[in-house]
Amino acid sequence: MVATNTASLPIPARGARTGRPGIQLWYALLAAACAFGLAAWIYELENGLAATGMRDVVSWGMYIFTFAFFIGLSAGGLIMASSAEVFGIKALKPLSRLGVLSAAACVAVAALMIIPDLGRPARILNIFIHPNWSSPLVWDVFIISIYFVFSVVDLAVLQQHTTEPARLRRTMRVLAYVGLPTAVLLHSITAWIFGLQIARTWWNTSLMAPLFVVSAVLSGTALVTLLALAAERWGGFTLPADTRRWLRGFITMALIVDLFFVGCEYITVLWGNVPADRSALDLVLPGGPWAWTFWGEWIVGGVIPLALLLVPRLRRMAGSLGVAAFLAIAGVYVFRIELVVIGFINPLTQFPPGIAVGTYNPTTTSFQLVGRYSPTWVEYGIIIGLFAFFGAIVTVGYHRLQLASRSPISSQEGRPAREETVHSAPDTPVAPSAGESPFSGEQ
Amino acid sequence: MAAKRTAHTPHHVMVIDTNRCVGCWTCAVACKEINNEPLGFWWNRILTAAPNESTTAAPPASDNIDVPRGVFPDLELAYLPVACQHCNDAPCVKVCPVQATFRRDDGTVLVDYERCIGCRYCMAACPYGVRIFNWGDAEYAPGGVVGYGKDYRFDGRLVFTPERPRGVVEKCTFCVERIDVGEKPFCCEACPIGARIFGDLADPASEVSQLVNEGGAVQLHPELGTDPNVYYVPVRRRAALET
Repeated sequence: MVATNTASLPIPARGARTGRPGIQLWYALLAAACAFGLAAWIYELENGLAATGMRDVVSWGMYIFTFAFFIGLSAGGLIMASSAEVFGIKALKPLSRLGVLSAAACVAVAALMIIPDLGRPARILNIFIHPNWSSPLVWDVFIISIYFVFSVVDLAVLQQHTTEPARLRRTMRVLAYVGLPTAVLLHSITAWIFGLQIARTWWNTSLMAPLFVVSAVLSGTALVTLLALAAERWGGFTLPADTRRWLRGFITMALIVDLFFVGCEYITVLWGNVPADRSALDLVLPGGPWAWTFWGEWIVGGVIPLALLLVPRLRRMAGSLGVAAFLAIAGVYVFRIELVVIGFINPLTQFPPGIAVGTYNPTTTSFQLVGRYSPTWVEYGIIIGLFAFFGAIVTVGYHRLQLASRSPISSQEGRPAREETVHSAPDTPVAPSAGESPFSGEQ
Repeated sequence: MAAKRTAHTPHHVMVIDTNRCVGCWTCAVACKEINNEPLGFWWNRILTAAPNESTTAAPPASDNIDVPRGVFPDLELAYLPVACQHCNDAPCVKVCPVQATFRRDDGTVLVDYERCIGCRYCMAACPYGVRIFNWGDAEYAPGGVVGYGKDYRFDGRLVFTPERPRGVVEKCTFCVERIDVGEKPFCCEACPIGARIFGDLADPASEVSQLVNEGGAVQLHPELGTDPNVYYVPVRRRAALET
């Protein structure tokens, strides 16, 4: 049970600190965060959604944009694992199982994220008892369920594949051909929750589904990159140079297409200059109250990671891939915030007094013309708890499934290349920094 | 009652004459009283508008109500009372994942307070911003009087209750408990100027039919295709009124 294979692996000097106490500290941290999230949720159940920063004008907030974010994150793994098979990209095969594990964990967390957003969580089964088939939310519930079951099955098959390659090849191919369209459909349906709504011009664009799919590929691939780098740093995983190149290419392409799509939206609104569209975009553009989302998306999550991925001098720097992946994920999160919140705060009517907020505050008016939103500690608490839960699933899954020791090395070089000594950014919130575990030594 | 509806299902429609409306908020306050709306809740509210202007057209003259648009002496002022528009093709009905929001045959859109899961998708989908969520426990001004203090069910579904539970969405019901016994919605009863007219659009002789078919009454945001059952008689210019 005691880990013994660390001596043979080129663990950097810093890794020496993360022995057994390291992983125990990590689990303790995750457990504490989960407990805090649970406490916040209990507080919310006691006090109702009045404990959140949401009100009638901005009636969806942090839960929903983090939900959309996690749905997007879950794409990368499954798309990568399926692409390896469907398009015959050998270099991505070492990431198949890690990718599918990430996909399953993300979609599970996304599904959980919906529950604290409900006013009457005890009635959630009504979705299955009285489904309204015209509601994109119902489509989403069903595709999320299918996707979760699928990713668990896929993971089980991949798990066996490493021991009996010949017999399961066919099953794997079938799963890959089903997995790719399922992942695309999951993200399209989640996009349609917003994109089909005629009420909100900020959402009502046919570009929404393509934009969600590409930003899902971007953030999901970046997440698997971070997980792989973290696993290499702390978990004895090997990331071949070839795989690294493919990841860099995937992220670069997805980021460029993502920014292109967002740019298409901007030019359409700016050129058309329709008042209701313009008032939404003006909130985001430099000078508007939500301009930080613009800078977050275009500079922090756009120009900087692109430079890190493309400029030869920066690309050779240690850690450039990890930092670029982290910034790209941050940029996608900012995009989700912007999408959901701007959709709500952009006024439905320009006529005062606007819309009633639904709670009484003796010091201010009960109406808002332009919406306001800032999350409360309850929302932050529940979100932190769910991030930690994701970290726990991935860490435990990584060690239980022995992804490090049984990872097939299929790069042409045949050996883990170490020409780039890339370490993941240690401050990434979603990357589990697992030390060696009791399980990693088992063969 | 069910038998009566099959014999002749009325098409319930409300027409608001914006020429008459003076922006006194009597309908909004009457609505709050009969429906026992908690503090901070307004099923019905009166927007300060410019005559015949789209609600999304231009930034407001002011954030405050009752401020006319323009520069003295060329000032313009009109009012637009907005509650649930009871759309025939209602986005809220389409998006509700559990069919808690539904449309009756008479055109009234209602919420089943016992089925709503509180996902608030309907609030995201409504182009008129008329839906209100019970974020916490309802707060009331001390000594308030509940106008209609009983539960009301349609088809066994709880569509009105004097104290809505926490975590469900609510909105204007067209005073379903009143119209089902042949009375007018309470806002129409309360309006001191007779600017709110309620009736049966299926009856060509009714006042609402006259206003919709000949009086030039229009719907709010007709371009969205929601086909509301609330109509507005547009403001006629002073010049037109004097001739």
